[in-house]
Amino acid sequence: MSKLALQKKPLPSKEAGLFKELLTLYETRQLKKGLKTADQILKKFPEHGETLCMKGLVLTNMGRREEGIDLVKKGIKFDLMSHICWHVFGLIQKADKNYEEALKSYTQALRFDKENMNLLRDSASLQTQLRLFESLVEIRHTILRLRPNQRQNWIGLAVAHHLNGNLEEAKKVLEHYFYSLKNIPDYDVEHSEVLLYYISILEGLGELSLALTELDQSARSRTILDRMAILETRARILTKQNVSEADEAWQSLIERNPDNYESYRGYLTSQGITLDTPNPEAVAKLEEFVTKIPRATAPLRLLLNVSSGDKFKELIGAYITKRLEKGIPSLFADIKSLYVDEEKRKVVEDIADGLREKCALEITVSSEKDEDPSTHLWTLYFLAQHYSYLKQHTKALTILDFALHHTPTLPELLLLKGRILKRLGDFIGAAKYIHDARLLDGQDRFLNTKCGKYLLRAGMIEEASRIFGMFTKKDAPSPASDLQDMQSLLFMLEEADAHRRDGKLNMALKRYMAVKSTFDDFDNDQYDFHGYNLRKFTINIYLTLLKWEDRIRSHPGYVKAAIEASRIFVLVHDDPSAVSALQSTDNLTEAEKKAKKKAKKAEKKKVEEDKKAAPQPNDKDPDEQPKKDEDPDGFKLLGSSDPLEQAAKLLQPLQTLVPESTDGWIAIYDVAIRRKKLLQAIAALNRVHSLDPTHPELHIRLVDIKQRSESLAPSLSTQAASVFSETLTQLVPEGLSLETLNSQYLQKHGSDGKALLAVAKAMNILNAPQEELDSTVFGIVAEGVKVDVKTALSTVHFLATIKSQRVTEFKEACQKRFQQSTAFSSPTEIAELKKTVIRDSTIELTNGVTNEEVKAELL
Amino acid sequence: MNIRVAKVEDIPGMQACNLQNLPENYAMKFWIIHAMTWPQISFVAEDHKGRIVGYVLAKIEEPEDETSPEIHGHVNSISVLRSYRRLGLAKKLMLLSQDAMTSIYRAHYCSLHVRKSNKAAIALYRDTLGFEVAKVEKGYYGDGEDAFSMRLSLR
Repeated sequence: MSKLALQKKPLPSKEAGLFKELLTLYETRQLKKGLKTADQILKKFPEHGETLCMKGLVLTNMGRREEGIDLVKKGIKFDLMSHICWHVFGLIQKADKNYEEALKSYTQALRFDKENMNLLRDSASLQTQLRLFESLVEIRHTILRLRPNQRQNWIGLAVAHHLNGNLEEAKKVLEHYFYSLKNIPDYDVEHSEVLLYYISILEGLGELSLALTELDQSARSRTILDRMAILETRARILTKQNVSEADEAWQSLIERNPDNYESYRGYLTSQGITLDTPNPEAVAKLEEFVTKIPRATAPLRLLLNVSSGDKFKELIGAYITKRLEKGIPSLFADIKSLYVDEEKRKVVEDIADGLREKCALEITVSSEKDEDPSTHLWTLYFLAQHYSYLKQHTKALTILDFALHHTPTLPELLLLKGRILKRLGDFIGAAKYIHDARLLDGQDRFLNTKCGKYLLRAGMIEEASRIFGMFTKKDAPSPASDLQDMQSLLFMLEEADAHRRDGKLNMALKRYMAVKSTFDDFDNDQYDFHGYNLRKFTINIYLTLLKWEDRIRSHPGYVKAAIEASRIFVLVHDDPSAVSALQSTDNLTEAEKKAKKKAKKAEKKKVEEDKKAAPQPNDKDPDEQPKKDEDPDGFKLLGSSDPLEQAAKLLQPLQTLVPESTDGWIAIYDVAIRRKKLLQAIAALNRVHSLDPTHPELHIRLVDIKQRSESLAPSLSTQAASVFSETLTQLVPEGLSLETLNSQYLQKHGSDGKALLAVAKAMNILNAPQEELDSTVFGIVAEGVKVDVKTALSTVHFLATIKSQRVTEFKEACQKRFQQSTAFSSPTEIAELKKTVIRDSTIELTNGVTNEEVKAELL
Repeated sequence: MNIRVAKVEDIPGMQACNLQNLPENYAMKFWIIHAMTWPQISFVAEDHKGRIVGYVLAKIEEPEDETSPEIHGHVNSISVLRSYRRLGLAKKLMLLSQDAMTSIYRAHYCSLHVRKSNKAAIALYRDTLGFEVAKVEKGYYGDGEDAFSMRLSLR
């Protein structure tokens, strides 16, 4: 390129004027006019870098993104020293959420226009986004120096110091700021928030007395308006100072909001009284509150934790009776945490059983209606939950069916029945009852959501979609599309799981990665607030936003999606043929082919309808155009050329954010070992070992790594090799054959189903004889072995993957073990059962038990 | 159930609760804007495991023109999981929010929209809390249902 302009020739006055116009047209979003103006300039000066860049920018805002970006890149080359060109480039990269590159461009732009406010502010936001706090301080200094009369610039500098770990400087800046303030209006919320921020800095510096003085002064003079924050801060500081006034402060909080448990905890802690174990002091104090604030429920509930013996009996009796008489559905959820105490559990059971007998007696005594139908009903509901929680599901169902017979139209009863059946491994039966509940109130989205979820658990994906669709936007291409747009993690994860269980790894991966994208969006959401909160002066909450965003991927939804997606990536890495096997359309059932056609039609229709909707006089915002799904079946994703690298990226945050997750480290191992990163792999296993040395998944991986290490170890440097082998020896003793290791583990944990499955999987890795493996597998559902439906299903899956001939036989053994489960039925049986799930007719009790038989059982 | 001011960490739970219960849903950024702008007036109810079972999402509307000359609070969304109803959570959440609107922002009144057919909610607002119907907004909801625009004077 021979025209790299070392000295830029300025545009002649006509074109210079046009260029100024172009800037204004862009800023006022008159994009079509802007385009014309740009072309006017370019006709005479086709290599004017800044115009090319501006035209490119305009194009990206008109939905012609790729064209625009190309033009910007072209334009920059013509004018590497133009702040406008770099600024435009930075804007494009920022819009792409490519913050690192954007910052580079902005930094370049600033070289050529050091005091451009726009550039400075955007750079500050970028630096905060990237957590580059040292540079942030510098930029905030510059901004303040240029505009010392803008109040937010002082706050911005203080915050920068704070984020950079320098509370002392932050404090100084704020004090200087306060000193310079004039004419603060009364009742100024902004000033109130800045004061609260200042006080939190003092607290952070340990200057508690000063913080308290400031707080009290501002409270008195009404310059801090947030009464709740004042009381909370006061209580917290006084507690830190360990002074007697602390309990008064907590008391004020309790009076202001008697439903906040933390206030009671603070109050009691400040007097050296615990809430975590029964003790009479706590009982006495809490009873004081019960008298003083009769409308408060928190002290009543806390009393149940801290009382024991007869006192507990008296309190829980009153608590339960009152709530059963009132008919409170959440009563069981409320008190079940007490069941860790075996004695308390027994007391609760006695009370509830007693109430039930009393009510039942009244039925037989009174000739007509029940005396207390409602209390009786809620008592039965409570007892059913109680027994099911204790895994006495049959007893629970008997009680529940009796209640249902009396009151078939209470959704709560049907929901509970569904839940109990789920616990018994009858996912299809469960879905049926949840659907019956949904029929009772079609307007209730809660019931709809539960229904959809249970349908997904039953593997009825299409039906679930139809049900969800009753509450999703009618103009969305599909219910799934709307639910993903609205960031429903529940939907994405549950449908992903359902596809996974169904073997549709492409769709499962697609949904798991949609969760990942959602969290990327959450992460990007914070960007605008780096400037916004300064303008609003709400700093304390802003700082908690940053902390939350730092840990956003610790959310269980992300963790699950990352782990499951990584498992699929590992699978396709191990067996690339799985992708093509899935892809052949022959695998689609008739229903699936139909659904696919329908979805394609709907998509097409939507696109046409959007086209018909008349374009606005101003150009349509490309952000509003529906994004076309480039990978509707997830096959592009599944066929990625770098599955392991993608998996590694997904799992990376888990190492620091959820180091207590054994599943996370196991997943990290599985990826690392295949990427031949031996040290990372063994470190991961070491982590699992320190968390749970007998973890079944760890056992399998120890066998796995020992096997692989023979061929992989040579690739390590001598230093790395020695670290590797040392660590390995600590995990698997030297000289121990893997077969012996496996049988030792079997000996130790032979009564645990999960451990037996691990032994079987290890046998498979070690090519053990078929009978040995089979006998271990069948042992999983033998009597005396602790096993749940989930593990049994995992075993079925394992047998299928090793192409065992005895899958059906094993499923029959599982059926014997889990008699009420339908998860082990044959595919034909399951298909038949699914047909019974969704019905429009009225409810009938399905198990045919007579009223007399049930009464006899209960009395 | 524990009732307290909504924190940033509560937002995913509030969003999930909203998605489960109501057809009017919002992207994460919308929830964040509320927290960042008016951090004192939204409240949550949580169970002993810390799961959000109820919330109220509120904002403050500055005085605009003649049609809306007073600063007031507005409840954008409120919901309690079905399994936690009958505990008076909605009432407690509303009262806490209204109190904060008054004491911090000196709001003149609190407003909200409710579906014409939602008898239970209307009973709570009108009979328990003292709201009055200010006007009917036809076709306000996405599915075409009318809304009552209700108001409660806070002064």
